Amino acid sequence: MGKELDILRLSGRQLMTKRLRVALTVIGIAIGVAAVIGIVALGDGIRYQAIETIKAQSDLTLVELHPKTTDGVTQLITEARLEQLRSTPHVVAVAPVFTDSYATKKQTFLQVLAVRADEIDRVLHLKYTQGGSFSPGAQEVIFGADLRDKLQRNEGIRIGDNFTAMVREYDEQGMPKDREVPLKVVGALGDRDDQFDRVVLIDMDTAARIRGSFQGYDTAFIRVDDPDTVFLVVDKITAQGLDASGAFEQIRAVNQFMDAILIVFMLFAVFALVVGGLMITTTMITSVYERTREIGITMAVGASEHDVVRMVLYECLLIGIIGGIIGNIFGFLFTLIMNAVGKPFIISRLGSEFSSIFGNEIARLSLEMVVAGMAIAILFSLAAGIYPAIKATRMNPVDAIRGFM
Amino acid sequence: MTMGIQTESLTKQFANGVTALANVSLSIGQGEFVALVGRSGSGKSTLMNILGGLDHPTSGSVLFDGIRVDYHDRKRLIDLRRTQVGFIFQQFNLLPGLTALENVAYPLLFNYAPRDERNRTAMHLLTLVGLADRGDHLPHQLSGGEQQRVAIARALVGNSRVVLADEPTGNLDSKTSAEIYQVMREVNREKGVTFLIVTHERDLASYCDRTIELRDGKVVS
Repeated sequence: MGKELDILRLSGRQLMTKRLRVALTVIGIAIGVAAVIGIVALGDGIRYQAIETIKAQSDLTLVELHPKTTDGVTQLITEARLEQLRSTPHVVAVAPVFTDSYATKKQTFLQVLAVRADEIDRVLHLKYTQGGSFSPGAQEVIFGADLRDKLQRNEGIRIGDNFTAMVREYDEQGMPKDREVPLKVVGALGDRDDQFDRVVLIDMDTAARIRGSFQGYDTAFIRVDDPDTVFLVVDKITAQGLDASGAFEQIRAVNQFMDAILIVFMLFAVFALVVGGLMITTTMITSVYERTREIGITMAVGASEHDVVRMVLYECLLIGIIGGIIGNIFGFLFTLIMNAVGKPFIISRLGSEFSSIFGNEIARLSLEMVVAGMAIAILFSLAAGIYPAIKATRMNPVDAIRGFM
Repeated sequence: MTMGIQTESLTKQFANGVTALANVSLSIGQGEFVALVGRSGSGKSTLMNILGGLDHPTSGSVLFDGIRVDYHDRKRLIDLRRTQVGFIFQQFNLLPGLTALENVAYPLLFNYAPRDERNRTAMHLLTLVGLADRGDHLPHQLSGGEQQRVAIARALVGNSRVVLADEPTGNLDSKTSAEIYQVMREVNREKGVTFLIVTHERDLASYCDRTIELRDGKVVS
């Protein structure tokens, strides 16, 4: 270790003998690193703000799953699968549902979700503005907020009222036949800003009895414990061959979009890094040429080829470390400037309605990015030093001491 | 076992067909102070480079203390340069960015010696060559003679038993040259280090125990 430090110290002194050249090379690497982490910080900031907005405006821990057909085989939502889901880590509650369609006498379409009251409440945390839940087995329904307003306005159906639902059936010839079913509205949900605003909730056994048979579940709603574990649960669901949907898809879409944009931007940043790397190669090749005699002497006094490689690579390592530190500082300043100047500029260009999308930070610099910036600088610098290092070891010591390569 | 250096039918032919050494067989005993003389192109430097493991012979062999040097064994050659042979060059060849003390200690860096030990050994040798007060001077702050003294100390730092000096006074005036020879002679006597010194100057060769003369790659005396 002491020897390594001494060689490192020696390499540092060698760099000091060509300060201007090294400084320019370091700046080259620093610009590359700053470009990489600046772009990632900006992308990460925009991604973070978009996801936070989705989180604030959507019910992220609610997942809806459906049967899925792959290669002609349909995976159904069965009791066994539901049991498996209930025991899946991070799943808080599962509510299977089958859907049906009724109509009012005035032909208002009613999308019906047949549920079990306790299960759906555990999943959806239902809040009632009027009335309450239905009793198991009773011919009672709950209206979503929008549907309640619509039926009250258009048909005068209020909470507590009885009304007649038309259930369409088809005879053996395929001719439609409507059957009248008396139902009572016992409750109305509060405004949720989702699909439950427009549905009728009914007890599952009642719905099966109205239809005459139980046709199987066509949907299940799942409540997950935390927004961050949603993708974990979704992966398990899809692994079972089922289809999952929900607000999490917006996050996935944002991530895919940002990933695609970042890849394109990163290409330009990598070009900057490659230019920095080439500068290091040039600097080190020139340095090796200039120090031909020194390298020859070093070999003559007992340095191995390995020692010579190490001396050259240590110089590159130091360039990389300094370049990485300065690059990170540039990147940090870039995020500060973006947050101070860039945000108002972008909002002024896009319009004030976008101000909520960009919270406090338009660019976010994380510790991982700083570490990655350092690692990129060091790896590029070392890679750029390999050729000069090998060139140095291929010198004939006798010629090198005479000053020839 | 014969102590010192022996060469047996040492031949070196370069790729361009030039024969630098032709069947050179010689023996230098441990602790001898030998001058190697000859005209330019007689093969002196080639012989020195082969003895020091910087170059390899086309045929023939070199024995250090009776042990044959395997020129295909790179590790062995590196070890030879680290621990058995020290070089002194006409151009001094000190590293310009290092102080006198650091230049002397430099070879020990590759020998896994701790820093304190390296500096202690280097200072001891600088004292031996009369430069104890010049340790922190950079090469350009030293006179030619002082630089060559530093080079002598560096050649000895790995406990070398043999020092190969290729025209060590070629860039020095006659007074300084004599001083350098005296320093080398003192080291030779005090430490029993073998010196093989290439020189053009016959009067300086008179400082040596004996003279080996090369002509057209052959030993003539």
